[in-house]
Amino acid sequence: MLLAVLFTNTEGNILVERFQGVPTEERLHWRSFLVKLGADNLRRAKNEELFVASHKSVYIVYTMLGDVSIYVVGKDEYDELTLSEVIYVITSSVKDACGKPPTERLFLDKYGKICLCLDEVVWKGLLENTDKSRIRRLTRLKPPTDV
Amino acid sequence: MASGQESSGTTLMDLITSDPATAASAAPTPAPAAAPSTLGKPVATDRKSKRATLTQIQNDTIAAAKALNPVRAIPQRQRKKPVSYAQLVRSIHELAATSDQKSSQKQLVQHVFPKLAVYNSVDPSVAPSLLMLHQQCEDRNVLRYVYYYLARILSDGGSQGLSPGGGIPTPNWDALADIDAVGGVTRADVIPRIVNQLTADATNADPEFHARRLAALKALTSTSASSSEILEKLYEIVFGILEKVGDAKQKRRKGLFGKQGGDKESNTRSNLQYAALSALRRLPLDPGNPAFLHRAIQGISFADPVAVRHALAIISDVATRDPYSVAMALEKHIEHGGALHDILHLHDVLARVSLARLCHSLSRARALDERPDITSQFSSLLYQLLLDPSDRVCFEAILCVLGKFDNTERTEERAAGWIRLTREILKLPEAPSVTLKDSDNPTAKVNTVKPSSKAKRPQPLIKLVMRRLESSFRSFSRPVLHAAARVVQEMGKSRAAAYALGLYDVDEGIQLHAYSENAESLDSEFNSSSQSEGTRKTVPVSNGPGGMDTIAGLLASLLEVVRTTVACECVYVRAMVIKALIWMQNPHESLEELQSIIACELSDPAWPSALLNDILLTLHARFKATPDMAVTLLEIARIFATKVPGKIDADVLQLLWKTCLVGAGPEGKHTALEAVTIVLDLPPPHPGSMLGLTSVDRVSASDPKSALALQRLVQAAVWFLGENANYAASEYAWESATPPGTALMMLDADKMVAAASSRNPTLAGALTRLQRCAFSGSWEVRIIAAQALITIAIRSGEPYRLQIYEFLHALSLGGVQSQFSESQISNGEDQGASGTGLGSLISPMLKVLDEMYRAQDDLIRDMRNHDNNKQEWTDEELKKLYETHEKLLNLVSLFCYVPRAKYLPLGPTSAKLIEIYRNRHNISTSTGLNDPAVATGISDLVYGISELVYESKEAEKESDAIDPELAMAWAAGLEDGLWGKNAPAMEKVNEFLAGAGTDAPDVEEEENITSRPSVTYDDLWAKSILETYEAEEDDARSSGTSSPESTGSVETSISSHFGGMSYPSLFSSRPSGYGVSQNSESRSGNNGRRFSNTSTGGPTFEGIGSPVREEPPSYSSSVLQRFESLENPLAGRGGQSFGSQDEDAGSQNPQFGKALYDFTAGGDDELSLTAGEEVEIDYEVDGWYYVKKKRPGRDGRMGGLVPVLYVSSS
Repeated sequence: MLLAVLFTNTEGNILVERFQGVPTEERLHWRSFLVKLGADNLRRAKNEELFVASHKSVYIVYTMLGDVSIYVVGKDEYDELTLSEVIYVITSSVKDACGKPPTERLFLDKYGKICLCLDEVVWKGLLENTDKSRIRRLTRLKPPTDV
Repeated sequence: MASGQESSGTTLMDLITSDPATAASAAPTPAPAAAPSTLGKPVATDRKSKRATLTQIQNDTIAAAKALNPVRAIPQRQRKKPVSYAQLVRSIHELAATSDQKSSQKQLVQHVFPKLAVYNSVDPSVAPSLLMLHQQCEDRNVLRYVYYYLARILSDGGSQGLSPGGGIPTPNWDALADIDAVGGVTRADVIPRIVNQLTADATNADPEFHARRLAALKALTSTSASSSEILEKLYEIVFGILEKVGDAKQKRRKGLFGKQGGDKESNTRSNLQYAALSALRRLPLDPGNPAFLHRAIQGISFADPVAVRHALAIISDVATRDPYSVAMALEKHIEHGGALHDILHLHDVLARVSLARLCHSLSRARALDERPDITSQFSSLLYQLLLDPSDRVCFEAILCVLGKFDNTERTEERAAGWIRLTREILKLPEAPSVTLKDSDNPTAKVNTVKPSSKAKRPQPLIKLVMRRLESSFRSFSRPVLHAAARVVQEMGKSRAAAYALGLYDVDEGIQLHAYSENAESLDSEFNSSSQSEGTRKTVPVSNGPGGMDTIAGLLASLLEVVRTTVACECVYVRAMVIKALIWMQNPHESLEELQSIIACELSDPAWPSALLNDILLTLHARFKATPDMAVTLLEIARIFATKVPGKIDADVLQLLWKTCLVGAGPEGKHTALEAVTIVLDLPPPHPGSMLGLTSVDRVSASDPKSALALQRLVQAAVWFLGENANYAASEYAWESATPPGTALMMLDADKMVAAASSRNPTLAGALTRLQRCAFSGSWEVRIIAAQALITIAIRSGEPYRLQIYEFLHALSLGGVQSQFSESQISNGEDQGASGTGLGSLISPMLKVLDEMYRAQDDLIRDMRNHDNNKQEWTDEELKKLYETHEKLLNLVSLFCYVPRAKYLPLGPTSAKLIEIYRNRHNISTSTGLNDPAVATGISDLVYGISELVYESKEAEKESDAIDPELAMAWAAGLEDGLWGKNAPAMEKVNEFLAGAGTDAPDVEEEENITSRPSVTYDDLWAKSILETYEAEEDDARSSGTSSPESTGSVETSISSHFGGMSYPSLFSSRPSGYGVSQNSESRSGNNGRRFSNTSTGGPTFEGIGSPVREEPPSYSSSVLQRFESLENPLAGRGGQSFGSQDEDAGSQNPQFGKALYDFTAGGDDELSLTAGEEVEIDYEVDGWYYVKKKRPGRDGRMGGLVPVLYVSSS
């Protein structure tokens, strides 16, 4: 289960968040936990360098893309390595939507598009589409395989 | 906090609309700003305050508009105001009406919809406009957003206005609709309409409508699973689609991902297959439904890779529940060249992961025992996945081989997994190198571990796995390192399980099979047989010639690589590595390396405390797997206690101690206790001195906070010592193996200590430590030490009880203070006016002991009178005696747990009389469980219950010591039953072991680490005690639920921390020691009630709880009594002695006896004896005879004391 996908800016403001199966009262903890992780570790991170953390049996993989930090949280079959796959899909589709590693401004300009991409990538707590072009097609309401 | 939004005072909406660069070209959306306070905080949506909420939003809006605070303060640019939610909604309504115009569409797609996405839920009143757009608009981009928002409205839980969407919090729309604030539209109004319209879309077979059909189906699956009506509709649609497109045979175009090609029809079909299976995956599993399984299995051969992934995931889920039907249905796919083998080459990592899980559940399924051909096919497929280029798939396969499937840990399964890994051989079918395919996989690092030329040769799994792991450890990717360490940890778990079951008889040294080409045929036979039998039967590996690798060698080289990974800069990776090392540590290996690694690691301040506690829990789990390692693990735990006292949870540590102590077995108990109490021997932390950082024994508590934490640890250790010293020493008053010699020991304190330590070094050592703690250390520690001492005093026989009595007495007077404190380093604290300041605390304890001694003396006197007068005990007298017995038991139970059925506060001599009385009146002895002291003492529960179980089993037998069997039973019983109750820390452990726990992590904020509002073990404990006492007023037996005082607030947590460790004694849950007199006052009422409940109408007891008797009992008087009893041979008769009541009364006549055994004098007063020696018995005192020899012994002495039992009196 993919428990959460979170985007923040460099100051730790949350830009996008998608929780699945996390009780409301725990979300606040997760937010602050993730933001703190990022503040501690992402300062000098390279683009798309992967970081890992865990809490009990929950795994966290996070990275930096342009000015945006991306966190994914998962458990069970969504372990560190699957989360790396997920984050790869997310970063590549964000890059695809923005054309490059986004600045915060660019990210916000493409906000709607990114939300739609995310909707195609993570669907009800499960990874759905992984292919960049397929995601692009689906966000434009085209079928995954052209007819 | 939520991301520092408060500090900057901005919201996401501010951010989005703050930059004019893009906004300038956009159509103006002027508006007063709506700026709900914080991201992610639910807006108060209490129904009562709906109006208030509205006005609140209004006010917020105005305030935010006034104090507009854009994030990017770029002065030369013009600032734009954020858009309000209401504004957005209005725009949607307006633009929906004119959706046929290009400008409206552009407006919607570029401005309105993206900004609406910022909010975490969508107002149902937007739905009509959305549905209008859905029907009328042709623009794909607009429609895509429409589906997106419709799905969000469907998925909205509605209760709190919070959906998984996140974003700026929105009010509870339904609540607002009720007051007609937003147009009066609720979700309930719009959802049927949305569902109807989407269903119409999803069933529309028009080719022009194809894409919308897919999107509609996807949106429909967003509905919450609670609505069965919609679910039914969904099943209908999905099966309807699969009915049409599922059966068509088609060939998968391998690795094809949305590429052009193929005819239109097959593409349409493939898209529909994908959409249907995606939807099916989100629907609840329906294992009993053959259609469900059938459709899923059809999905394996679909062209769309995502569809195949979903199909496999569904099948592997079903397979865990119904392996037989799945295996039967898959029969033709598993054959060589079947669809399942094609998945090996499928370009989807998760699909292969699902395949591994599927293969695992089918190859291990009991239901398939009859079909070894099938299971072996699945396991060989699983072994092939070990060669997968993706680490993810390979690791999943390793975990599956190891028997780690889900979080239900079964030792047998894990042990079998280890054997599987070490014994089995991968023999590839003629398929050429799998590893070289799919190398264009974008994410997986292609670690071609095995050259393809060798791929055909059978390989032992262990070798493959080791090589693969070693190469993974060379990766630079942190997730890969983390995962690899985790796999090693799981390997260690399986190995430990194998050792625990004794399946794996030490043969790690043997050489692995070396497979030469000509041995292949032989191998294949062996191979198939071993696979078919699985691991339920251990197949010994024949020792093939020529192989150089041994499992031990492979493991050693792997561990070398693992150790170097400790250098990784990520603490989480390091933590996982340490856990892996702990698991791979074997009981017989030297642990120095591990110890130094851990000690070195802990010096790093970067470690978060949650992670350290996780490692402690790992130690716990490791201990459970291998109880032999108790001492080793305690050593490691000690490093934690000394290096990072501020970061670890004292409760978890204490639990670890306890488990290790109980599990250590009879011989190990002393060592285990030593390992625990070594914490007490640590020098107090000296602020500022940071020398010897890497030294294990040095306390690194340089700042006040960690000094405080160390204090807590010391408290925990002291308490632990008091609770468990008797167990560790196997010394119980009610099971005293050696006859006590109370009065004699009184003669000389030094001698008493010497005799005590010679008899039981463990207990004596514990006593010494506790006595030192009662003098030095902070007042919290002193209080607990005094309580620990009284516990030991009550539970132990003589001479310990007397030794403690004397010590406590001295302590209460404060007389010895100066003498002791000179030798101790003063911690600079004012010791208080009354010496140690413990007087008020100790006096009730002394009173209890006084009561006991007085009652014992009375009993001796009465018995002597009866014996002299040759009188039978009358029922009245017996009743009085019994009442005293019960009264004392109740008193004693207030301080600590004792087994009521066995404990004899009046001494062993009373046993007979009480037994007589009990038999006469049919009084059951096993009332211990109803004792509040038992109910409250968690650690005692463990002991108490097993003690009772033990009693019931061996009621007749006289037990003289805790036998090893029992200790093992405890160790085994640790799993669930006994520990399960009332121990939150235990829950923590079990949760950890079960791998559960999504609950959110605490972010440590350095300032308030001690005041975390979490409920700790202590708090709960304190709570239960408070409750029990309160409940007692109403009903002595109810344990109560929750009382207002006992909420786990910061206050209680602090107070209980300061009030000591909260254990079941009188003074536990109070914040300090000086409130004792009020305490006992309030308690005395309870006492009275309790006593009148238990004692049958006897006089109300006014003993120790009474505040009236303020002055402590005169020590000299009691000493005098002792001296009397010593000097008067009559008084001494039968006092504390074991079995001396059988002696006849003719003690005045000279008696003769014969030494039964050799006895070596332990002191000046004692006399050495040789077995068979004739002696004259002068007099008896408390289990000792003063005897005279006929001629001087080797030491030249004629007379002295010998234990009664060593001499047979004639």
